[in-house]
Amino acid sequence: MIRRISVACLCIVVLAFLLMPDMFRPVLQPLVAEGMPPIYDRANLLMLTLAHLGLVVAAIIPSAILAVSLAIFVSRPAGSEFLPLSRALTNFGQTFPPVAVLALTVPLLGFGLWPTLLALFLYGLLPIFENTLAAFVTLSPSVREAAAAMGMTPRQRLWRVELPLALPLILEGGRIATIIALSTATIGSTVAARSLGEVIIAGLNSNNLAFILQGGILTAALALLISEVFSFVIRRLQYTQQAR
Amino acid sequence: MIELIGLSKHYDTVRAVDDVTLTIPTGTVTVIVGASGSGKSTLLRLVNGLVTPTSGHVEINGRDTRKIPSHDLRRRIGYAIQDHGLFPHWTAARNIATVPDLLGWPKARVKQRVQELMTLLQLDPAVIGARYPHQLSGGQAQRVGVARALAAEPELLLMDEPFGALDPAIRAQAQSDLKALQVRLGTTVLLITHDMAEAIFLADHIAVMRAGRIEQYGTPADILARPANSFVSGLVAVADRPFRYLSLFSVADFVEDGPADGPPIPADATLSEALARMIWSGQDTLPVAGMADHCIRRHSLIGVAGPPRSGAVR
Repeated sequence: MIRRISVACLCIVVLAFLLMPDMFRPVLQPLVAEGMPPIYDRANLLMLTLAHLGLVVAAIIPSAILAVSLAIFVSRPAGSEFLPLSRALTNFGQTFPPVAVLALTVPLLGFGLWPTLLALFLYGLLPIFENTLAAFVTLSPSVREAAAAMGMTPRQRLWRVELPLALPLILEGGRIATIIALSTATIGSTVAARSLGEVIIAGLNSNNLAFILQGGILTAALALLISEVFSFVIRRLQYTQQAR
Repeated sequence: MIELIGLSKHYDTVRAVDDVTLTIPTGTVTVIVGASGSGKSTLLRLVNGLVTPTSGHVEINGRDTRKIPSHDLRRRIGYAIQDHGLFPHWTAARNIATVPDLLGWPKARVKQRVQELMTLLQLDPAVIGARYPHQLSGGQAQRVGVARALAAEPELLLMDEPFGALDPAIRAQAQSDLKALQVRLGTTVLLITHDMAEAIFLADHIAVMRAGRIEQYGTPADILARPANSFVSGLVAVADRPFRYLSLFSVADFVEDGPADGPPIPADATLSEALARMIWSGQDTLPVAGMADHCIRRHSLIGVAGPPRSGAVR
């Protein structure tokens, strides 16, 4: 209950800040020197937030599709040989620093959206892939056997039994990947992708603590809220299938 | 009629199932008894194609099952397992509807069939139907598993230690319920268990299995009275063996002329129940309900219960 209330409060504060940033002027004013703006004014904060979210969604959805498909493939008899390769690939995506991805891909893809999307996409693969795989591996052998023994085709087993039972763990992976992407998206602004990173970078460049704080706190608040949404859905799903 | 013809399954050098030939007449219960590792589970899985045989094959009503696509075959063979394997994300009703759904039955017919089966298995459709497996008791989950296996009126019902996960208090009830259900539906059943008492109670025919081979095949009375070798006699040689043997016959078959006092015993009671009553009450004869001037004598029962003696065993 307390958790719900605090999430609702956070949600209201974030919305208020995005819709009426001037209301927060008195709070942020003491953080900046005389004559400097306390609220980011070079772009609309709401638009930047939406662009930030859009960037994350545009990277995580294809990342999730690839990671889940890959996990399905390597957990079938025909694809099991490719398990080590897939692991190596997704691990590489995770360990390769996003900044390095940006530096390497800007010459190929140019400034702006695309290098950032690629970096976030690669970064999201591992958690979703590993969680999906774990979900398949931990599926109860008797449930798996029952699905085959009832006369389900391999495709029916996947869609009717394995994927629905794996869904909570897959979403858990999606939650982790999304949170990471939300914070990592800020560095996209170093290569001119539109995100809340722009506010932070502007603050660093002009030595404006208020800018840095509002960019950082907004990003963190978004991550928290989205994580809560995922957790809520996961809890609802698990309620109906506790005995997995 | 289900025929297992020369079935073998070898894993490298291990012969899990070794040249098993077995006929299961339509409408009867065949129980395979064996210890763990005897190959009985593998044998069961060979029948519905969960395991592919090294050699041999299965025929259902004269039709070679190798010629039927495995998912079609399995939809025609019910399958109930020890820890029930219910789908945790589906309600009890939807679990029972699994095979009819796969077969594309119309919704109304599926719904009607689920209701019918739940009633038959003493599960209240209105209450239990909407529950998820984790909300069911062990006995309820076991019955939902059996209902799921029976849903599409299978030609054969395979049961792998169906009562293994139940506590002893409800196991006996579940066994008699299954027996009554089988008699009512006339389903052909192939059941495996490690429990000889369960086999004697349920089976029309028993196959004793060891190290992948059938050691003896026969009726429960055959197995109890004439074990083929020391392994089988080891399995049946328990303290209450005479009582188990007597439990295979009913009072009605041994009624004799003559008066007797005391409360009558029902004609469909088993001989072991009759003998137990006589020992407890100290009587030599018992009247039989509904049969005036008829009784059952202790002397005759004791003649039935012993090892094969000339003329004494039916």
